[in-house]
Amino acid sequence: MNFRNIGLVIGREYNTRVRKKSFLILTFVVPVLFAALCFLPTIIMMNTKEETREVAVVDRSGIAMPFLTNSDAANYYDYSNSDPDSLKAELDNLHKDILVIISPIDSSRSVSVQTFSKKPAGVDFSESLSRRVSNAVEDYRINSYDIAGLDEIMSSVRANVKVQEYTLGADGKETVSESGIYMVVSMVLGMLIYMFVAMFSGMVMSSVIEEKSSRVVEVLVSSVKSIDLMFGKIIGVALVALTQFALWILLTAAILGIGGAAFGGKILGKMADPAQQEQMMEMATGGIGVHPDLTTVIANMDDSNSAKVILTTLGNIPWGTLLVSFLIYFILGYLLYASLFAAVGSAVENEADSTQLQLPVTIPLLIGFFIALMAMRNPYSQVVWWGSMIPFTSPIVMLARIPYGVPTWELVVSIAVLVATFVLCAWASAKVYRAGILIFGKKGTWADLWKWLKQK
Amino acid sequence: MALIECKEVSKSFGPKVALDHVSVNFHEGKVTGLLGPNGAGKTTLIRIINRITIPNGGEILFQGRPITQADVEKIGYMPEERGLYRKMKVGEQAMFLAQLKGMSRADALSALKDWFVRFGIQDWWNKKVEELSKGMAQKLQFITTVVHRPSLMILDEPFSGFDPVNADLVRKEILRLRDEGATIVLSTHDMGSVEELCNDIALINKSKLILSGDVQDIRRRYGNDNIELEYTDETGRHTEVLPRETGGNSTLKSFIDRGVTVNSYRELMPRMNDIFINLVTGKEEEEQQ
Repeated sequence: MNFRNIGLVIGREYNTRVRKKSFLILTFVVPVLFAALCFLPTIIMMNTKEETREVAVVDRSGIAMPFLTNSDAANYYDYSNSDPDSLKAELDNLHKDILVIISPIDSSRSVSVQTFSKKPAGVDFSESLSRRVSNAVEDYRINSYDIAGLDEIMSSVRANVKVQEYTLGADGKETVSESGIYMVVSMVLGMLIYMFVAMFSGMVMSSVIEEKSSRVVEVLVSSVKSIDLMFGKIIGVALVALTQFALWILLTAAILGIGGAAFGGKILGKMADPAQQEQMMEMATGGIGVHPDLTTVIANMDDSNSAKVILTTLGNIPWGTLLVSFLIYFILGYLLYASLFAAVGSAVENEADSTQLQLPVTIPLLIGFFIALMAMRNPYSQVVWWGSMIPFTSPIVMLARIPYGVPTWELVVSIAVLVATFVLCAWASAKVYRAGILIFGKKGTWADLWKWLKQK
Repeated sequence: MALIECKEVSKSFGPKVALDHVSVNFHEGKVTGLLGPNGAGKTTLIRIINRITIPNGGEILFQGRPITQADVEKIGYMPEERGLYRKMKVGEQAMFLAQLKGMSRADALSALKDWFVRFGIQDWWNKKVEELSKGMAQKLQFITTVVHRPSLMILDEPFSGFDPVNADLVRKEILRLRDEGATIVLSTHDMGSVEELCNDIALINKSKLILSGDVQDIRRRYGNDNIELEYTDETGRHTEVLPRETGGNSTLKSFIDRGVTVNSYRELMPRMNDIFINLVTGKEEEEQQ
C-alpha cells in the first residue's frame, strides 16, 4: 500500500466529483425537496381551508337540512321550495358553487343524494355530505321505532375501541407508544440507506468504467498498484457521499429554520386543533406514499392526546444508536457493494454493457430493500431477523429494525459478519479488478470474472 | 551495462502461455526495439517490467538487483491502449500523473511548464482534455510519460495514432532523451522506425525470444554478404550486385582499373522487415512440419 498514491487518487476522485454540476444540483435540490415535503401538507391545508363552498340544498326528505350545519368547508342554504331545474340554471346568479338534491324518503326508509356543480365537488365535500345525511337517516329510523329512550340506547351501544400501546422499558417503565411512528421512521431509514448504497456504489462503478473506456487505466496502473487505485477510488467516493450528507443536513436545517420562523406561528396554531391535526397527519403520510394502514392507524388515534403519543413515541426511539448505526451500516454496506461494483465495472468498457453483469450484485440489494419493507409491517419475523444478519441485506434491514429496538449482541454480530464479508469481497474484487481493467475490446462475463479471480 | 535484465521470465493465463522463459537485457543509453507479431507476448513482458502483471517464474533485475515497486517511479510507460481523463483539465491531469510518479507539487509544476512551452501547448493548461485536438492530446500523453525524467522509457507503439508532424516530434525527443542517458524500449510493428531509431532488437514470437542483439550485426548476419556497385561507362549507368570478398578492395579496384566511373559502393543489408517476416513465418513452417 502506497499511502501517498492512495491519497492522490482520493484527491482526484473527490475534487472532480464535488465540482461536477450534478453534485451541486443534487446538493441544493434535495434539501429544498425535503423541506417542501415538511411544509407542503401544512401549506396546502391552510390554503384549501380558506375556500368555503356555498351550497344550495333542495331537501325533499325534510329530515336532512337540520344536519347540514355550516362549517369552514361549506355554507348550506335551504332552497327546498325552489325548482331544481331552474336552480341548476341559476346557480351562478345565486353565487352558489354546488346544488344538492336530497330525494324524499323511499320505501326502504332511506334517501338518495345528488350533487350538481360546475367544478367537481371533491372527495372531502362528498364524504362530509354523505356522513351528515347518513346521520339524518339513522336519526329518522331510530325515531320511527318510537321506543322511549332508544336514542340513548343506540348511542350507548356504539363502540369505538382504541388500542393504547405501551412499551416496557428495561426499568419496567411503561411508555405510551405508537406503531405508526416506528413504521415511518423504519421505512425512511431503510429507504435512505438503500438509495445511498445503490447511488454511491454505482458511482464507483461508473468511475471504474470511465477509466477503462478512456484508456487512462493502464497509464495509471503503471504508477499506482491496482489495489491502491481501487481503494483510493472507493474512499474518494465515500468522502463525496459524507460531504453530501453533511451539506444536506445543514441546508435542510437552514431551510426548515427559516421556513419555520416564517410559518411557525400559523402551523403551531393549527397543530393545537385536534381535528386539523388528524387531517395534517393524513396529508403528511399520504403525501409521502405511506401504506394506507398507517393512515388509518394514525387517524384512529385518540385526538386529544395524539400529540403526546407522537412525542413520547419519537422520544422512545433510540436516536443516538440510530444515527451511529446509520453511519456504520451506510459505510460498511457501501464498502461492500462498492467493491463488488468496482469488480463488475472492471469487466466492461461502457455503462450499457454493465447492466447484465451487475444484476447478480443488484439483486441482493433489492432483496434487502423488500425485507426492509416487511420489517416495517412485522419487525419480529424470522425473515427480517435473518435479513438483518446476512451481510448483503443487513445494512438495509437492520436499519429498518433499529427503531423497534435491537439487542446489542445482535448488532455486534451483524456488524462483525458484515466487516468479515467486506474483507473477503474486497480481496476477491481487487483480484478481479486487477485483471479486468487490462482486458480491452472484450465484454467480460461472470465466467471471465471467475477466471480472473483464480488467476495468480 | 544492462539497466533491465529479464531472467527466464514466464507467464501463463490459465492454460494459455504468454511468455516462455524469456531472457533479454535492455542496455543503458540505448534504444531497444521489442518486436514480434500480435499476441506474441510483448505487452505481457512490458507489463511485467512495470509490475502491473506478476510473472509465474523468473525475475526482473533493475540496475543489477531485483526490481521493486519504488523502481517503477523511474519508468515512464506509454501503453498501446492509452488515454486521458476526458473531463479533467489539462494542467490538473498532468499534475496528477506526475505526482503519481513521485514528483513533488513544485517539481511537477516547473517541469510541466517547461515541457508545455517546448511542445507549444502552454495556453492549454486550463482547458479540458476533451477540448484538445487529437494531436494536442498526443503531445500531452507523451509529456506525462517523460515528465519525471525516467531512466527507463517503455513506449508501446508510440507513433500509432500520431500525425506525421507529432510522430516526428516524438522521434526527435526519443533520440534526445537517449542521448541524455535514458534507456528506451520501443515496441512497434513499424520496421522503418526500428531501423532508424533502434540500437538493439529483441524479437519475441509465440511467447519465446527468438532473436536479440545489435541491429547492424543482425542485419549483416541475415544478409548474403553482398555489395552493390554502381558505375558509369560509355554505355551508361550500371548497377551490379557482387559477393563481397573477405577483407579486400580488389573488386572495387578491378572496376577502377577498367576505367569506369564508380558512383557508389555499398554493403547490401536485408531490411528488418524481411528478417522479421522470414523469422516469424519460417518458424511457423518449421513447427508445421
